[in-house]
Amino acid sequence: MQALRTYFAGIDAGSTYTKGALVDDRGALVETTVDMTGINIVTATKKAYAQLLEKAGVSEGQVAYVIGTGYGRYRITFGNTQVTEISCHAKGAHALFPGTRTVLDMGGQDTKAIRVNDRGEVVDFCMNDKCAAGTGRFIEGSARVLGLSLKQVGTLSMNSSNPVKVSSTCAVFAETETQEQLAWGNKLEDVLYGIHVSIATRSIGLLRRVGIDPEITFTGGVSQNPGMIRCLEEQLGQKLNTSPLTNFCGALGAALFAREKYENTTGTGRSAA
Amino acid sequence: MAEAASSAPLSFDNFDKAKRMQGELTKRYFQRLLTAKEQGRKVGYAFVMANPIELFNVFDIVPLYPEITSLNISYRGGAPPLISLSEEMGYSTDACGYVKMGVASVTEGTSTSIGVLPKPDVLLLTFSGCQIYIHWWEQLHYQTGAEVLVVDVPYVRERDGKVPSHDVKYVASQLEESIPQLERVSGKKFREEEFRETMRLSAEAWDLWRKCIEMGKLTPCPMDAYFEAIYYMAPITIARGTQECVDFYRFLLDELNARAEHGVGPTKKEEYRLVYEGVPNYPFFKNFWGLFREHNARGVAATYPKVAGMIDTDSFRINPDRPFESLAEYMIHAYCNWNMPMRTDLIEKYVRDYRADGVVIHSIKSCRSFSMGQGDIREHLAKDLDIPTLLIESDHVDPRYYSEAQTRNRVDAFFETLALRKGGGGN
Ligand SMILES: Nc1ncnc2c1ncn2[C@@H]1O[C@H](COP(=O)(O)OP(=O)(O)OP(=O)(O)O)[C@@H](O)[C@H]1O
Ligand code: SF4
Ligand SMILES: [Mg+2]
Repeated sequence: MQALRTYFAGIDAGSTYTKGALVDDRGALVETTVDMTGINIVTATKKAYAQLLEKAGVSEGQVAYVIGTGYGRYRITFGNTQVTEISCHAKGAHALFPGTRTVLDMGGQDTKAIRVNDRGEVVDFCMNDKCAAGTGRFIEGSARVLGLSLKQVGTLSMNSSNPVKVSSTCAVFAETETQEQLAWGNKLEDVLYGIHVSIATRSIGLLRRVGIDPEITFTGGVSQNPGMIRCLEEQLGQKLNTSPLTNFCGALGAALFAREKYENTTGTGRSAA
Repeated sequence: MAEAASSAPLSFDNFDKAKRMQGELTKRYFQRLLTAKEQGRKVGYAFVMANPIELFNVFDIVPLYPEITSLNISYRGGAPPLISLSEEMGYSTDACGYVKMGVASVTEGTSTSIGVLPKPDVLLLTFSGCQIYIHWWEQLHYQTGAEVLVVDVPYVRERDGKVPSHDVKYVASQLEESIPQLERVSGKKFREEEFRETMRLSAEAWDLWRKCIEMGKLTPCPMDAYFEAIYYMAPITIARGTQECVDFYRFLLDELNARAEHGVGPTKKEEYRLVYEGVPNYPFFKNFWGLFREHNARGVAATYPKVAGMIDTDSFRINPDRPFESLAEYMIHAYCNWNMPMRTDLIEKYVRDYRADGVVIHSIKSCRSFSMGQGDIREHLAKDLDIPTLLIESDHVDPRYYSEAQTRNRVDAFFETLALRKGGGGN
């Protein structure tokens, strides 16, 4: 008869969304969850964790180790330790796509370009400066003024054949510019795609700073936006790795770190199972 | 009893007295500055980089460095009202915070967190790598009517740092020619013996300061050659050419030797050795230092504490027998007056000579002289030399440009990569 399984959790408390991932004692992904971070990080992380366990049908006692990551990592009251999202996204991306050498994580507030080695360890990284211009917030702002959902923004932009040049580099001014461009008679999909081009250009600048080594894995919430994938691939002239799971790379990386950490500290390997 | 007392481990406080001494010295300096006018003394404004303060000493002119008053005000949290005032006057948010605070500080009716600063009697303009210097002094001249004394300092153009002798002559002759103007402003005669004496004291202090900073080569490093050196560099800037300055560095050298002997330093232990480039963040100085200190990282070498003078590079040596020439060499070799390849080479040399694990570049929005090219420095170190290098951005005086969460994210991630390199296993 087999004893109860042991699990490891990663909670990524991002500036916009809180993500959770649960892996089993072999490091296989069991369950994920995502919800808005909102104004109370402590509550958001607790809720994410509870949801994660409920969805997986796992009791808290079965979770041997929890690692927090993301902006709110120090606010996670039930976690064992913290690792930055840079290391976590690298690890998560490498777990999903072992050929990964470059990671682009586009979140709500930060964009990170990360160079990793063949074990998924961070060799170098660069982040946008203290400005939301090249990040998901830029798209959110434009979606808001146009009354569109995030999903619609990305999907609609795919119809563009003649993208408009969005000259503003500021996330706040871009909202006004979006409206102006429409008032001048430009097509909605062309304006939307123009916004994506503007963001993609900035992120490629970051990628160049760390060096662009294939394979490139695109992670974070914005990796779920088909318009941005198309735009980056066009500009880079190469395919990117993405999947519905790349949204969870930070949390997945944290869960995998949790498993490693647990095995290193107990020295028991998998004997807990 | 005596036995037990001596075997008890001595706390770091016992080896951290030089900072207090520096604090007192700075306080005395501000006192002298704030009362200069009452005591019938003249006040000369000067820049930190490339200032021949030894000449001021001879004429009993009290130097005021707006860069230093600004950073002190900012360190005490007093920057925002001055920055707001300058922005009301029309200065852009992008203009250098030192300039904006400097201009606001001499505006009629302004009191700062260190007091009402005396107006200048002379503005010594030593142009050395910062273009803003010229416009800043021009503005102060309009505001206060004080005369400007210009010493033009040519840029170091050769990759190997060689300076043609006519450059040295050019600067030295301007210094000699400034004497009649300084005599007129101060109402005092130039006395050669006094000049030689202050030059001798200056040379002595430089030698001691060099010995202090080179102790960063020891493992473990007995100090933080960035965060602590920023305190330690004050006397060589504000009190150079005096006995008080020499005494300070003698004391500091003894203290650092004692730290080395007892194996104590500014962090519990030394886990990482870092080289720093760039101007620090003064409004959040301790918080900023804490981000590194909590990882048991010690700065072993840094470029910024050398803005007072590139003493550890053999580029100049103050010599009472060649007073004008040696001062000229000191002025030409100001850090921001160096070309970029030289600056990059120096950082690379620091990494090698001080056996550092990585480089941290703190780029500030205010300052083009420092920040220009830092992206390229990072790229060269990281890509060509495989030296882990972190580039972070904020400002030296304007608190609006610092976000602890964002900075911490980058710093923590940097230490995670350093830990991997050292085989520590990531986290
Ligand atoms: N389904 C989706 N379709 C399109 N875009 C999406 C989707 N989900 C999220 N996004 C985008 O992802 C962004 C949030 O990404 P993510 O959850 O990675 O951010 P975060 O981790 O909270 O932020 P950060 O890492 O910057 O702190 C949003 O701003 C939005 O633009
Ligand atoms: S721009 Fe830089 S060098 Fe020039 S005054 Fe400002 S801080 Fe100093
Ligand atoms: Mg994130």
